[in-house]
Amino acid sequence: MLRKKWLPLLVVLVFALSVVLSACSKPQETQPSEQPKQEQTTPTASVQDSDNWTKAKDPSKIPEASKSRTDTLIIGLHEPAGTFNPLFYETAYDNYVLSAIFDGLIEVNFDGTYIPGLAEKWDLDKDNNTVTFHLRKGVQFSDGTPLTAHDVEFTYYVLADPTYDGPIDLSPAGIVGFKEYQEGKADKIEGIKVLDDYTIQIQLEKLMGTSLSDLGIPVIPKHYYGKDFKKGNLEGIKALMQKPLGSGPYVFDKFVPGQEVRLVANEHYWKGAPKIKNLIFKTTTDETAVQALQAGETDYETSNITAKKDNVELLESLGFVDYALLPTNGYGYIAFNFYQPKFQDVRVRQALTYGLNRKAIVDAVYQGLAEVRNVPQSKVSWAYPPEDEINPYNYDPEKAKQLLEEAGWKLGPDGYRYKNGEKFTIHFLQSTPNPVNDALVPIAVENYKQLGIEFIAEPMEFNLIVDKIKKAKEKTFDMYFMAWGLSAEPDPYNIFHSKGSQNRNGYSNPKVDELIVKAREELDMNKRKELYHELYKVLNEDLPYIFMYQRHDLNAKNMRVVGFQISSFRDFTYSLYQAELLQY
Amino acid sequence: MTQFIIRRLLQSIPTLIGASIIIFLIFALAPGDYVTRQFENPKMTPERMEQLRALYGLDKPLPERYLRWAGNMLRGEMGDSLMFKKPVISVINDFIWNSFLLGVAIMFFEWLIASIIGIYSAVRQYSVFDTIATLIIFMLYSLPSFFLGLVLLKFFAVDLRWFPVGGMITTGSNYTGWAYIMDVAKHMVLPVATLTLISVGGLSRYFRANMLEVIKQDYIRTARAKGLKERTVIFKHALRNALLPLITLFTLEIPSLFAGAMITERIYNWPGIGKVVLQAIYVRDYPLFLGYTMLITVLTILANILADVLYGIADPRVRLK
Repeated sequence: MLRKKWLPLLVVLVFALSVVLSACSKPQETQPSEQPKQEQTTPTASVQDSDNWTKAKDPSKIPEASKSRTDTLIIGLHEPAGTFNPLFYETAYDNYVLSAIFDGLIEVNFDGTYIPGLAEKWDLDKDNNTVTFHLRKGVQFSDGTPLTAHDVEFTYYVLADPTYDGPIDLSPAGIVGFKEYQEGKADKIEGIKVLDDYTIQIQLEKLMGTSLSDLGIPVIPKHYYGKDFKKGNLEGIKALMQKPLGSGPYVFDKFVPGQEVRLVANEHYWKGAPKIKNLIFKTTTDETAVQALQAGETDYETSNITAKKDNVELLESLGFVDYALLPTNGYGYIAFNFYQPKFQDVRVRQALTYGLNRKAIVDAVYQGLAEVRNVPQSKVSWAYPPEDEINPYNYDPEKAKQLLEEAGWKLGPDGYRYKNGEKFTIHFLQSTPNPVNDALVPIAVENYKQLGIEFIAEPMEFNLIVDKIKKAKEKTFDMYFMAWGLSAEPDPYNIFHSKGSQNRNGYSNPKVDELIVKAREELDMNKRKELYHELYKVLNEDLPYIFMYQRHDLNAKNMRVVGFQISSFRDFTYSLYQAELLQY
Repeated sequence: MTQFIIRRLLQSIPTLIGASIIIFLIFALAPGDYVTRQFENPKMTPERMEQLRALYGLDKPLPERYLRWAGNMLRGEMGDSLMFKKPVISVINDFIWNSFLLGVAIMFFEWLIASIIGIYSAVRQYSVFDTIATLIIFMLYSLPSFFLGLVLLKFFAVDLRWFPVGGMITTGSNYTGWAYIMDVAKHMVLPVATLTLISVGGLSRYFRANMLEVIKQDYIRTARAKGLKERTVIFKHALRNALLPLITLFTLEIPSLFAGAMITERIYNWPGIGKVVLQAIYVRDYPLFLGYTMLITVLTILANILADVLYGIADPRVRLK
């Protein structure tokens, strides 16, 4: 009787023990592979890493677990959602996976300029407002079907569909007949013409410098996705979300939700078959990304390791990890509510910039791995102005006080500044949780008090702040901190033009408007570059925002993987076909 | 009995309707929606945002949105998840069984260990074992799961390499059968250990308290006086009675098997429903969040009914009417 009752417990104990024992036996299994270690020569790769990598020096520290994977590269990535269609992806992480499976018409170079992709060249015809893409011949989708202009046309039609809800917005391109098609007044888009199998021409309302970035789309195969495609019904395409087929370096094999995406090399890839046969994107998290790399479970980590000094030191201490600190495509800023009259005076905006110790804030958050910026552009971009032409606004409280005096804000008996009886107070919308605000608010309170300004932070959730910003005209706030992302195309019309859709706080400067329009309409790259330099100089002087910083993204990899030529704009996915695994 | 169950099921309909309205309102009235996060996308235009809201039906007034959603739910359609772009039911199906697996293992070890510790602590109240067990249990009980999780990860996965760092299967593996089961078991050890260690504390207290109460009853003294063996007294006479209130506790834990563990799943990269739902809340993926919450609501209501029924079966003093 009693024995019977103890039986289940015994079974459980045996089970638990067997689990522990089987786990213990794992290191022993991998030991035999250590033995054939005769040669001491260092293996070399045919394509080297780009210079922005800090290289590791100690191949003896490479974990055995990774060495035994001779034909598989494992990339650690924040969990992909599984929206595997380049027209419908929902997260940047899914887009990384997609970049390995699909190609775009154009590619982005290291400095954000455009270079040929599937389109080997393009003609911009200013007189007729057309863009003509000449496709590369001999490109095949991974099932062997040739990629033609009909596939490009099909992709444009999917993007133009009235029920399309993906991340690409074709409307700013201004394709002739696009609106009519969307509104149901036409069955065809008048401005899209396939001239022959390898040439497609797009007729625009107005050809601009930004047109290329608006039209440079990824291409999906019509014969695969287009079977059930009818205007107003994208269900057939969405049904193939987890069976993607493209022309990229790797072919989709299997998706295990929440865990991994498996890909195999595309032998037909037009740049040459990838050197590594298997590619796996494995889900990692902020908490475990470094550990997975350290244990040899991943070879490359792209988005989960925050660029902080602690992490960089940790990676260096591992001895076998290469890392690259890439300036993030984006910048942090403090916005002014221009509907508050006090911010209309440029001297006030300058005073608030001089009077805030931005470096202290940025260093507190990023431990020296972010730089204070003074223009809304990435240092890596072709449009970034020469440093000596812009004002660095180094922390200078005396200058700030002087500017405030000039602007008519005089110190009152209580230590605060007044103008026409109005006390200088700043109501700051502090989104929480946010590590930058955690450092910014205490420093701003202190710094601005010194100038005679009362800085009041109101902590709230991000979505609430969004609601308030939408009603900027009601003047319920003065400033807030946020960040913008940047892409290869520098045009900031939406943000700084007085009619820009994302210009939420009423910033308006005729000179800025003029330069933005000129720069976006110009086709000549050299002239555009000059126009942007001028625009950034004006913005640097006029300060629509207090520009804060540009931080870094950290890419890290096991030194056994080589061939990654990357920059902030040209991410690692472009290097996948040329990467190799060195056998140490 | 059948009558009782039917009546309870009918009674739960208004509960369900009320719950669905509250859940819907809490989610719909929270600031922001799925399109709001495009706020930080410099290329987004207000026209496109409006177009997207119209496509997702977010532009309609609240009562209409509720009725449409509730109507679909009645027809068994949870709609498409906005962030996964596929039916909610298939998203839930992808992840919930992984959470369930973890939940069942944790529940098993939690009850096993808690019962052993609880019973011994009660039988030997204030003994050295009781004191030490209480101390350790309370220490573990008060640890946050992310901390214990990361500590275990550091020692057993990174330093000792006994267990994998995370995930549910070995990356790139194609195991089947027994090898697959062992592979998953190996990945389960650390998350199961983390959550079991943390939850054992509370449950073992229940066991201890109930046992203590029962042991002091007259019928236990009678059993001892009859000359029964101490083991028989403890396990047959005392434990059975002490288990009665725990039936309810056990049954009410069933829905949580499906609920997932947000933090632990995140740390160990377990492909469970918990972290998916957390993400759904962040990005305001309302079909997914509402579908999942309603599922848990239904399970909770059913578990309540089950608890009452089981209690009635186990304890003849309780009459179901």
